[in-house]
Order: sequence, then C-alpha cells, then structure tokens
Amino acid sequence: MSTRIFGSGIRRREDPRLITGSATYTDDLTLPRMVHAAMLRSPHAHARITAIDTSKAAAAPGVIAVYTHADTEGGLQPAPCAWLLPDSDLKIASYHCLAKDVVRFAGDIVAVVVAESRYQAEDALELIDVGYEPLPAVTDPEAAAAEGAPKLHDEIDGNQAFHWKVAGGDVDAAFAGADVVVKDRIVQQRLIPNAMEPRAALASFVGATGELTVWNTTQNPHIVRFLTSLVLGLSEDKIRVIAPEVGGGFGSKIAAYPADFLTMFCSRKLNRPVKWTETRSENYQSTTHGRDHVQHVELAAKNDGTVLGLRCTVHAGMGAYLSTAAPGIPTILHGLMLSGVYTLPAVHEDVYGVYTNGVPVEAYRGAGRPEATFMLERMMDVLAARLDMDPADVRRKNMIPKFDDGHEVVTTLKYDSGDYPGALDKVLSHADYAGLRAKQKAGPANGTYTGLGLATYVEICGLGPSQVAGAIGFQGGLWESAIVRFHPSGKVHVFIGASPHGQGEETTFAQIVGSELGVDPQDVKVFHGDTDNTPMGWGTYGSRTTAVGGAALALTARKIRDKAKVIAAHLLEAAVEDMDYEDGKFFVKGAPDQSKTIGDIALMANVAWNMPEGVEAGLEASTFYDPPNFTFPFGAHLAVVEVDAETGAVALKRYVALDDCGPQINPVIVEGQVHGGVVQGVGQALWEEAVYDEGGQLVTGSMLDYALPRADLLPDIEVLSTVTPSPHHPLGVKGIGEAGTIASTAAVYNAVMDALRPLGVTSVRMPLTPERVWQAIQDARQAKG
Amino acid sequence: MNINASYTFNASPQAVWDLLVDIDAVAACLPGLESLEPAGDNRYRAVLTMGIAAVTGRYEGTVELQDLDPPNAYRLAVEGRGKPGFVNGGAAIALRDTGGATEVTVEGTVQVGGTIARVGQRLLGSVSKMMMDRFFACLQKRVG
Repeated sequence: MSTRIFGSGIRRREDPRLITGSATYTDDLTLPRMVHAAMLRSPHAHARITAIDTSKAAAAPGVIAVYTHADTEGGLQPAPCAWLLPDSDLKIASYHCLAKDVVRFAGDIVAVVVAESRYQAEDALELIDVGYEPLPAVTDPEAAAAEGAPKLHDEIDGNQAFHWKVAGGDVDAAFAGADVVVKDRIVQQRLIPNAMEPRAALASFVGATGELTVWNTTQNPHIVRFLTSLVLGLSEDKIRVIAPEVGGGFGSKIAAYPADFLTMFCSRKLNRPVKWTETRSENYQSTTHGRDHVQHVELAAKNDGTVLGLRCTVHAGMGAYLSTAAPGIPTILHGLMLSGVYTLPAVHEDVYGVYTNGVPVEAYRGAGRPEATFMLERMMDVLAARLDMDPADVRRKNMIPKFDDGHEVVTTLKYDSGDYPGALDKVLSHADYAGLRAKQKAGPANGTYTGLGLATYVEICGLGPSQVAGAIGFQGGLWESAIVRFHPSGKVHVFIGASPHGQGEETTFAQIVGSELGVDPQDVKVFHGDTDNTPMGWGTYGSRTTAVGGAALALTARKIRDKAKVIAAHLLEAAVEDMDYEDGKFFVKGAPDQSKTIGDIALMANVAWNMPEGVEAGLEASTFYDPPNFTFPFGAHLAVVEVDAETGAVALKRYVALDDCGPQINPVIVEGQVHGGVVQGVGQALWEEAVYDEGGQLVTGSMLDYALPRADLLPDIEVLSTVTPSPHHPLGVKGIGEAGTIASTAAVYNAVMDALRPLGVTSVRMPLTPERVWQAIQDARQAKG
Repeated sequence: MNINASYTFNASPQAVWDLLVDIDAVAACLPGLESLEPAGDNRYRAVLTMGIAAVTGRYEGTVELQDLDPPNAYRLAVEGRGKPGFVNGGAAIALRDTGGATEVTVEGTVQVGGTIARVGQRLLGSVSKMMMDRFFACLQKRVG
C-alpha cells in the first residue's frame, strides 16, 4: 500500500465546486413544464380537523391543484417506519402524508398546493380554510408517558411507542453490594440538526413510460427508492432516485418524508415535474429533530472507585410519529453502548419510546451514542466527586485494558480493538492536566471559576453486519457495494452505493483506489447518489461510508490487482506466482526494471489484443462487502472552561480532542470531521435547544431563538490521534463522522460542573445558558443558607 | 402568556363603560383594524392587520363581549387566524371607581400558534402590551 496516497492530507476534490457556487443542489434544478408545491402545515400542536375548504385556493391565480388527505386515499400509503425494533412491543402509528382527521404536531401537513410559481403556491395556502378543534398537547417525553396525559393516537395506550430493555450481569446484586450509589436525572434536550441546505424534492413522473425520477436531499437514495415503491405503489425498477449535491444532513436526511412523497404524488397526478423546497422555518417545524431524552441514571460503585453496575430508565421523545429509523436510535445505538470504555459488570436499562406532540425525532450526529456517553461520563464525574477522587483516576481504574482483537462487554457487543488508557493518558499529558489541576486549586480569580471536564468514549460505527441488521429489526441490509472500472487510458471510474453528502469521500475513495492500485487520485472519479447509475447501497449514516463502502472499494481494487497481475505475467512471459507488485507496477520478482504499469494493463485489457488464455477483456470488478462486525472508534476529550459566577457566563477556553478512528486515509478530512463534530456537541452543552411552549408551539422557530454555535465562541480545537486498526477491516479504518459529537457534550458539561463544584452546584439542565448557570448558583447559595 | 395592565380614565365608571362597549369607538381605536361587523349578540367579526417581530399578517376572527356586568366588569374573548397562524386571547376587564376617576384593569392571556409563535413569541408580550396601551390611550382621548 502506498503511504504516499493513503494517509496524505490532499485537498478535498469536492471543494472547488462547492466554494465557487458551481455545485448543483436539488433546488438548483429546473425541468421543462415544472410546477411548484407548497405545504399547508398545521399551526396547532394537536387538533381535530373539523372541515377543510380548498375552493378559494383552487381558484387562485396559477393554482393547478390542491390536495387533502381524501385525495390521496389509495394513491399514497403512510410514510413507513423501517426499523422494527424486536421484543419491544413496538406500536407504529400511521404517519399519513396528509393529516387524516387529526393533526399531531405544529407542522403536520394538512394540504398541498401545486401552482405555476412558488409564490402562487405559497399565497394560495392562505386561502385554504381549515377548521380546527384544538386538543390538549404534550411535548415533554416524561409528561407524555404519565397517566392522564393527552393521548396522541387512539389505538396506542400511554403514548408508548415501545419499551425496550438491555440487561447484563446481576444489577440488583451490584447495587446491593455497593459502597456508594450516585444518581442523576439528565435531560438530553431536543436539538434541531440545521443542515446548511434545507430539504427539497423534485419529482418527475412521465405518464407515457410510467417512470418516476426524483431528485432528493437524502443521505440514502436507495432506501428512498425502496420506500417510494411501497408508498406510491410503483415498481422499484420504474423509480430513479438521485441525490445530487446534498448540503449536509447530520441524520436529518435519513428519513423518507411525507413532503417528499407528496411531491412525487403530485407529479404523478399531474404528469408534470413538481418541485418542493422547504424554507428554514419549515425545516425547523418539520424536518426531524434529535436527542430528547429524560434519563434517570444510577451508578453503583465501591469506595475505591470500582464501578459495579449501572441502572437507568430513559423516556425518549419520538415526536408525533415514528420516523424512518427512529426506534433504533435510543435503543440499539444507545443502550448497547452503556459499557463505554469501561469494565461494567452489570447493567439494566429500560427505554420507553414516547409519542409527543413534537416534530418526529431521528438520528442526529452521534445518534444514541452521545446520549449514552453523556450518561456514563457524567456519572463517572459524579462518582469521582462523591469519593473525592480525580475524575481521570476513576476512569482509569475502570477502563478496559488495551486489546487488539476483540473484547466482549456486558451488553453483548464485541469491541474490535482499543487502547482507552493510552488515549486518556495522551490527552492528559498533552494538556498538562496535572498543571491545570494545580492552577485550579489556587482558587477562583475575580469571580471566575475554572473547570476541567473529561469524557472518554467508544462508539459503534461501520453499521454493520447485515445478519445483525436483520436481528435488530432494521428493514434492510447494511452491506455496501462498489464497482471499479479502468478505462483504456488508465483513468478510473468508481461507482459506489454509499451516498456521501459533505464528508469528502470523493476524495478519500479516490485515495483508496489510488493507494491500492498506484494511480493518481486525480485520475479516479467517484460516482454516487444515483440509483440508476450506481450499485445498491444502504446510505451514509452511522459513520459507515468509509468503514463499509471503503472496504468494498479496497477489496474491489484488490480484485483488479489480481487480474492485472495475471495479464502482466502474460505480457512479461512469466508465471503468475513469480510476479511482484509495488506502487502500481507489476514485475518479475527480482527484476523491477522490466515492469508493466497498471495503465499498461488497463490499455491491454481494454483493447484485448494479447490476453492470457481464458481471461476476459476489460479491467473492472465489483464487490459486495458485508462487514463481519461493527467498528469501534474511541477517544478521550478534555474541555477547559471558565465560569463567571456573577453572570453565569461560560467561556470555553481550551478543547483537546483525541479520536482514534484507526489508520487515517486523509488526516485533513479527519480533522475537519472532528472539528464539526466537536462544535455540534459543544452546541448541545452550551447553547442549543428546541423549545416547545405548553401549547406545543415551537418557540425556537428560527435562528433568532435557536442558538447555533458561532466561531467567535470557540477556541482553537487541539486535535490529537492515536492509531489502533480494526482487526477485521481490510484497511483497518473505523469511521470518524460522528466521533467529535459523541464526547464533547459530556466533556464541556463536566467542565462546567467541575467549575461550579466549589459553589455547591451539582446539576444544571442543558444548555448551560448564563441564566441557568446563574440561577443554579443562586439556588445553591440559598440552599447553603 | 399573561398580560396585565391598568389604565385610568378621568370619567365615571358608567361613562367609561359606555365607551368600552361602544363598538364604533372600539373600532376607531383598535390598532390595525380593517373592519368590525356585528355577528350576533355582543359578537363581532373582525379583520385586523398586525405585525409581531418580522411577521406581519392579516387575521380574520371574532371578538365577543361576555359576562357583561355594567358598569363593573366583562370578559373579552378574541379569536383570529391568518397566514401567520392563530391568536386566541381572553381578558377579564374590571372597572373601579377611584373617586372622580375610573381605573380599568385588564388581566388577559394570549395564545398564539404558527409562524407568530415560532418567530414572534419573544416579542409577543411587549407587542400585545403596546397594542393595548395604544387602544386605551385612544379611548382615554375620547373621554377628553
């Protein structure tokens, strides 16, 4: 493998088109005869629809059609939930694309208008007369599960979507034999993903052929195609889904949405291309949100800091309906990760998925793992404080020792490889942790308290073996496929099922091919995101695109190398077993001067003038790669904060992130992913929250009120790494897309609590706004008397 | 959201009462009112244009005077909806003789939904208060 290409921080090939405005997003596309759709969304969080009069809207200038639920009967099935969590008493409420009789969140779609222009469509929305009979609403997951709570779906008692459990070891014995038990109630607030590009769909149904083409802002076009065939009742081969340039997703572009299906439905009805693009405001009230857990956590330990067991109950708000992959997020991707980097002898968790009158909740960067990491890492700090131990020491005491090839934890997952103490030690020494602690001991200066916060983590990536996907109810496979095709000139086309949307895999995939076959990455073009022109793939989420798709690609390149070697042996009149390969050159062992390059072979294979007997023309191969296990990246993060006790303002002074994703194909891209991830995690700790009022209205409905992280609020992020290859992966790589988010919320939260410890504050609800921190300080002062 | 305020009129409770239920006076003083038409006993259909934060919109709805207890108290119920969402409000209005003058106290609640809730909620309290202040200032002038 050429180290020149693999591991080189070459610039992202995507960037020139992205930063010069030359990229084509869904909304940039215009088709002949195209018309525009606009969605009428419920202003009520919960209401019965008593009447809908669309006559005025239908008569408005430019309006071509207005549809309500009744018009879609028979033509449009409800948006499906595709993660059928087993053993959980899962109850899926019908998520009608247009609300039927009842609206269940402010943003639920009631009608769709199609008009010649977008302005006409939007204006006509105002002319639709909908009678609503408001019903009581509930948006807090714990409150929604309580007796007497407003009921969202007649057929579902207690608003309970599912009850899932994970158990291992003897947790009752662990607590019975504990010296100390520490507890906390943690609210993982609801977050809005805020991809830079809002969602959009352009659907073009051609009646004469019965074929539907859809351009869609999606992380997984093949899944959209599959679900579209179910929802619209069209044969899969008649549907083409294209994800053109997609401007980020963070999980919010996994789901197949009612608005997308409606756009397709309208196109089919009208036999014309129909485009719909959401506004940012619409994005906030309808595109999936993340997190929304209320967690009750208890940790049992011995006086020396040895952890004995973890017991927790989580109420996970699912919103009004179950989004495509939603049930798997607070369960499989959360509960199975509760051992973290530690030797945890016993665990028991109950997770209740709860319907609430909010936007459906889906994966959001990290998806379940930040919520697990936070619980565990917060409790480590609470335990350390109780025992008056240093948080680093408590962690080290419980860490799984370094391992290279498999370690099974109490939740039954088998981690692939890890060196958790090594990661922690490197962070501590880089940051001069001992020095920082010594300085902190000197006490606050001018009312400013310093805090240090640690968070270690292991995450589950490279989703995953398809057999496991089946066992956990995921309604699809989780393998990936790749085709590599050499042209006569030696240039390469790669066709890949995975669908990157900002992560830079057009670059890293070219580097994989380049390093495996000795070609310049510039000569490798990567095609993705088009169900007609790429092989099947299961999408980009769960940090799986490089981990699974990249493996498919590496194995494909190796198949090509094997074939090329046979052709080279023939051309050099040597036996195949006498051939050697290095850096794109094939030669007889010991005679590197007489060689054939991969380019020579590509030309010969394509013209086929002189091929070995029995060898087909062409230089092309494909692989379906189904991983034998997940990959388990890990790391350790440290945050240093200052808290102004007078104002409650928190300043993040330093941030050190060590992430081990195995060998790094492109360290610059890795660093970029870590930066973005860290910032989103810090956002949860300090600023971000989707807030509903008591009537179920989203009051953080724009960027005026939803506080996104800003560059001026963040320090330079100090990015470190260690390299622990995955033993089961062809390249050893593990995945990096979500890593930064997983530890950073806990690290920053722990740092703020560490700063506030001398003031007697032990728990503050996130985000840690100045008001909340100040109030907590006042409350603690009053409690002290 | 709760909105409370009080206003003093240099007139007797009866004179202030007469003004408060005089639909022409009310129509002349309601900021942004486009039309106010009778629609039953003490009930009116109203069209109102109103801006909260960056959200300006036209609302159609009803205004109803309830539990009339002249010249001491009544309830005002307002329902409106338009493209920016809906507004529902209720207020208990009480008149008290303070010896030569009348103090009118308003204890109201406002509930909004849709765009105004998402974008304008932060400013809803101050905008509602401002509109009420203008309304009563206009009526105070009529008393002279």
